[in-house]
Amino acid sequence: MEASMQANNEIRATVRLALWTVAWVATLALARFGPQSLWDPEQVVASWAAVAVNLAASIGWIVSITRYLRAIDELQRKIMQDALAVTLGVGWALGFAYVVVDEADLIARDINVGLLPALMGVVFIIAVFVGQIRYR
Amino acid sequence: MKNRITELRAERAWTQADLAQRAGVSRQTINAIETGKFDPSLPLAFRLAKLFDLKIEELFLDEQ
Repeated sequence: MEASMQANNEIRATVRLALWTVAWVATLALARFGPQSLWDPEQVVASWAAVAVNLAASIGWIVSITRYLRAIDELQRKIMQDALAVTLGVGWALGFAYVVVDEADLIARDINVGLLPALMGVVFIIAVFVGQIRYR
Repeated sequence: MKNRITELRAERAWTQADLAQRAGVSRQTINAIETGKFDPSLPLAFRLAKLFDLKIEELFLDEQ
């Protein structure tokens, strides 16, 4: 009984997280590509509205992540928390290292700022994979 | 933390999956606890002890 309730909670939390992730990605794409593809870039109100919708979806996404972490099996939670800690550490370390390097004019050209969250995503996936192997 | 889960599970002819089902966790969690790679939370430790009709200190062994 308890096991099936736990499984149902996990499934519900996973589905909610998946739906919020899709919503966040879709609204991010809308905010990023909308000004060129769907409306005139000079329609600033539309662009700001798209950003606001994306930020609203981001809040829902963050809430769904925390609920997912509370709902999942406790070993999976530990693996996720360890992976999040590594990801946050890498993000901070590389982020501040880039700020220092940029301020000191050590690199000739600017790096695309979107690279950092993308890299953090890759680090998170690798850290989860390592955790799964560690506790196999 | 050392524990007697493998031994007690074998006495009852339960697989790791059986125990996981009863305790409401994944088989991977039971395996990680048995091998000492992962220490369970207090609520899970209580659930496991209850499943074996033991006190927590009879199931989990203090290594100090």
